[in-house]
Amino acid sequence: MNEKKKGEFKIVNHSVPRRDGRAKVTGKATYVSDVKLIGMAWAKVLRSPYPHANIVSIDTSRAAAQPGVFAVITGNDLEGINPYYGHAVKDHPLLAIGKVRYIGEPVAAVVAVDERTAFAALELIDVKYEELKAVLTPEDALANDAPLLHDRQFEAGALRGFEGEVTAGKKSNICQEHHLKWGDVDEAFKKAASVVEGEYYFPMTYAYAMEAYVAIADVNDNGVTVYSSAQHPFMVRHDLKAIFNLPVSQVRLIVPFVGGGYGSKSYTKIEPLAAACSWKIRRPVKLQLTIEEAMLTTRSDDAYTWMRTAVDTNGKIIARQARIYMNTGAYAENSPLVVEKSTNRCVGPYSIPNVQIDNYSFYTNTVPASSYRGFGCAQVTLPGESQIDELAAKIGKDSYEFRLMNAAKPGEEFFPKMRPFEGTLKEDLDIAAKAIGWKEPIAKGHGRSIACSTSDAGAYPLTSTAVRIHADGSVTILTGSTELGQGSHTVLPQIAAEELGVPFEKVHLMSSDTAITPYDRSTGASRTTTLMGSAMIDACREAIQQMVAMTADVLKVKVEQVEVVRGGVRVGEIQLDWSQVISKYYALPDGEVIGRAYIRKAGRFSQTPVFWETVATAVEISIDEETGKIDVDKLVTVGDVGLAINPALAEGQDIGAATMGLGTGLFEELVYEGPQLMNGSILEYRLPRFADLAKKIDLHLVENQDGVGPYGAKGGGEGSLNSMAANIANAVARATGARIRHAPLTPERVWRALKEQKAKSTL
Amino acid sequence: MTDVKQILNLKFTLNGKAVEVDCEAEETLAEVLRDRLNLTGTKISCEVQVCGACTVLVDNLPVSSCTYLAYEARGKNVVSIEGLAKSDGTLHPMQQAFIDEFAFQCGFCTPGMILAAKALLDENPKPSREEIIHFMDGNICRCTGYMPIVRAIQKVAGTEKSQK
Amino acid sequence: MMPLRRFTIDQPKSVKEAAEMLAHHGENGRLYAGGTELLLAMKHDLLRYEHLVDVKTVPDLNRISVGNGSLHIGATVTHRALEKSAEAREHCPVLVEMEHNVANVRVRATGTLGGNLCFAEPHSDPAALLLALEAHVHVQGKGGERTLPIDQLILGAYETALAPDELMTGIDVPLAAKNKRAAYLKFQIKERPTLGLALVMDADGGNIKSARAVVGSVSPKPARSDAVDKMLAGSRGEVEKRLADAAQALAEAADPVDDLEGSAEYKRHLIGVFLKRAFAKAMA
Repeated sequence: MNEKKKGEFKIVNHSVPRRDGRAKVTGKATYVSDVKLIGMAWAKVLRSPYPHANIVSIDTSRAAAQPGVFAVITGNDLEGINPYYGHAVKDHPLLAIGKVRYIGEPVAAVVAVDERTAFAALELIDVKYEELKAVLTPEDALANDAPLLHDRQFEAGALRGFEGEVTAGKKSNICQEHHLKWGDVDEAFKKAASVVEGEYYFPMTYAYAMEAYVAIADVNDNGVTVYSSAQHPFMVRHDLKAIFNLPVSQVRLIVPFVGGGYGSKSYTKIEPLAAACSWKIRRPVKLQLTIEEAMLTTRSDDAYTWMRTAVDTNGKIIARQARIYMNTGAYAENSPLVVEKSTNRCVGPYSIPNVQIDNYSFYTNTVPASSYRGFGCAQVTLPGESQIDELAAKIGKDSYEFRLMNAAKPGEEFFPKMRPFEGTLKEDLDIAAKAIGWKEPIAKGHGRSIACSTSDAGAYPLTSTAVRIHADGSVTILTGSTELGQGSHTVLPQIAAEELGVPFEKVHLMSSDTAITPYDRSTGASRTTTLMGSAMIDACREAIQQMVAMTADVLKVKVEQVEVVRGGVRVGEIQLDWSQVISKYYALPDGEVIGRAYIRKAGRFSQTPVFWETVATAVEISIDEETGKIDVDKLVTVGDVGLAINPALAEGQDIGAATMGLGTGLFEELVYEGPQLMNGSILEYRLPRFADLAKKIDLHLVENQDGVGPYGAKGGGEGSLNSMAANIANAVARATGARIRHAPLTPERVWRALKEQKAKSTL
Repeated sequence: MTDVKQILNLKFTLNGKAVEVDCEAEETLAEVLRDRLNLTGTKISCEVQVCGACTVLVDNLPVSSCTYLAYEARGKNVVSIEGLAKSDGTLHPMQQAFIDEFAFQCGFCTPGMILAAKALLDENPKPSREEIIHFMDGNICRCTGYMPIVRAIQKVAGTEKSQK
Repeated sequence: MMPLRRFTIDQPKSVKEAAEMLAHHGENGRLYAGGTELLLAMKHDLLRYEHLVDVKTVPDLNRISVGNGSLHIGATVTHRALEKSAEAREHCPVLVEMEHNVANVRVRATGTLGGNLCFAEPHSDPAALLLALEAHVHVQGKGGERTLPIDQLILGAYETALAPDELMTGIDVPLAAKNKRAAYLKFQIKERPTLGLALVMDADGGNIKSARAVVGSVSPKPARSDAVDKMLAGSRGEVEKRLADAAQALAEAADPVDDLEGSAEYKRHLIGVFLKRAFAKAMA
């Protein structure tokens, strides 16, 4: 994959303008909410007002009698299909069945001629509940007398992608636990020269895609077709297939442009409910959630982490131990996988000889948690990178130097049994330090921080793709990858254009339609460039091999005599471009060549992770100590990406992730008062805005072509988020001496910490 | 549903052309544009006047079309994202600048963002960075971190500074 | 989407007609101007009306003028029109500055100052400043007209003194005397202000003859007290020494509570911070 070097690429490694640019700036880009099908009906959802309750009765007759209402469905109307689905475990009913497990859970759906009619009928549904005691935190969930949210074991999800045993449904509220251990932490902590220990809290957050969940389902005699805002259409297809007892060939997922994913649109969400509605009335049904409903559909796990880290007399980290409790809400979704990943990501990009991490994810009567950008990394990087700074301060070392001292080296198997590290952390940190002006003097009330993270990224290597080279030399690539904004519609044609030696403008794509585009497991975990990109290269090369054979056939020479040149072949004096090869082969300017590739966990992808997503970041902040308000003055990101297929897009992902990360460090948190989500609206959930823009932003990419992906590429787009909360906490500590272990560092939290610190220092 | 129903016959100018549309009194401009006129470029997101994804220009001023009754557009001059490019396909300078500066990713906030940016420069052709931020602060983007949007606006205004 | 439930729109041609329509509809109807707050509440089913009376079709309610020692602002003047008004800027720059920072550019383009006051959202800027400026509002109903100071208009959260048939027709802001010094500062974390502090003083050289301090957004309605205002009068040096005590008294008057914006303790602290800063800004 690494034959070409930086500087030798014609199209790859260039910031070509986005392929979807015109469509998006003219309003022509189609999202699911823009799609209309003939005869389409609309669904609206009635949601549970109780966190935990038995459903005693539901009377839908008044609603169903309304003019324009086609049907009202509840959990009692699902005979004939399999209503439970779920990525890790099938614990999630598409509508509440017998019991509700969180405020906001769908209890009934009205399907009507238009949205207004469906909405008006909702209040005519009478539901009687018998309230049960609710559990709201991991502590509640652990209590001896805690009611069980789920009292039976479930069928494991078919595609769950993690190997550990599923612990859900085994007579406790533990959804999943995961343990990681090497060395002997107890011994190490006994011998340690210095130890830092603390409890940290990373909040529940909401990814807040501007496009809320939406699905249009059409269940008819041919099968099930669903238009969805899903990131992983093939996974949703699998869930729907199981729900409707259909072969995969009769289930079709179509994903047009997605208005933001960030992990929150991973896996199945409202597609089963939309499909059940369509199944009932035998017409297409659109289910469009509002943003507030979306905030009652998914959130990220929060994490209570107890962590300790130890160094020896030389300042080398010798041990890290942590116990984490994550709150995964009413249904597992893919939290079991998040638990596994967040466990791994406690280690950070450091060589630590003794590690023990014990991680537990609990069912609670709150909105279900699912994956979020960083996939469990942000939750544990707050304690992880905070403790690096705390430890450095304790032993009198500069926190940047301390990181350099302990960073894993390229080629080091710093995480036993996993792919050796391929991040050049020293280079990354050096760039970050220089860009932030680490050594420069800093004014009072200002603080700097530098941090880093690495994630076992790329999810699971299972993908396939096809490339169609047409007789006129233009190319259509068929990819199961979805376009969430990350640029798959630009990067994949860039790779194909580079490989086939054709102009970028001649390569187009068809994406994310499971009936047409070959199987791709998922779009997430920063895996598209590495895995789909690799498949794209393989498919192009396979097509080229076919065209070499075609050339030999047409020119009546041996295959060995055919030389591949840029954009075609040469045999002696004769040079043919692909169009000529194909036209001659078919004896008409018609026909095509289809190249294909399969990727599985073998060969160069036999080791996990597919790659290490490694990033260094730095911030400089100023604090208004009277109000506690923090302003970010400078932001630096360094993405260790191997090779950026499109540098502008890679940098765009980094600043986007960093901004989202600053949100978690400064203001984003879902607030529960008892069972009630108090700020499930943009009026009270604070997102980063223009006014928060740092005055100076420096985005860097480190490209050593050291990854397993195309031309040495790795992936990116999540890493810059992970260390931001710690950066804020560390910068505040460096500026004021006050150490805050609870994100986000809202003005009031900062003010209180400074107040407490002042009180302490006057004692 | 209540027994009240009022159908309005609205006449206004949309993207430079006269339009006439019948709608109910409680329909928003976003509903009329998207559902009655099949112009789906205007996006609906927060629905509470905060995020600006639904921004449409009415008599040159940005409004939240998700909460602006269609009734209010009567007799007025409405510009949606579909009205920016020329009929021959030439993009408006702001649209081109958004492409050149990579000022969008998922694109869902983009129509509203571009119209807000256009309204800004129509009112204040050479805004300072602070003025850009103050005006645009009402539009939210979750993908780009805002910096490339500011750059795109500065590019069109001719007030770029090398801010990297 | 959150569809609005069905309603009809009435188009009165005079204040009298509007009052009659409101009386006729009773609980089923409401006056409607920019709708920037009303329609949000209706989308969320917090309020339900089958009839909206569009006050914008009444002529002459959208003017800004100066006369009789006041800046007259018609009830349907938008935040933006006030923000851009040369007359308003000349006679009451602190008002213009406050309007420049209300909500966002789209709310300013369609929302009206009159509508804002009548909706009486606690987390809001204009009422606090107008109370400090001793503004009055003109109200008209079937029975006639009356004039109210702000603290007799706004009685609590989303609660005004307006009778069912009454509508506000305009706001009068007394013109600033030459020695008037004023500042409005706000602290905002989320989408609505967490705190707004308005300070208007009649100051001459180093001597503050009289002062009015109002804190908004930390209680159901803007808060002030005569006792606070007394503490803010005196020589500059004396007043500066009393600022902390005045802030405490103002916090007592406001009696903030714990909510999503912050704890009562934090808000009390912020009152002190922003009274100090407003004083410095006003005297600069």
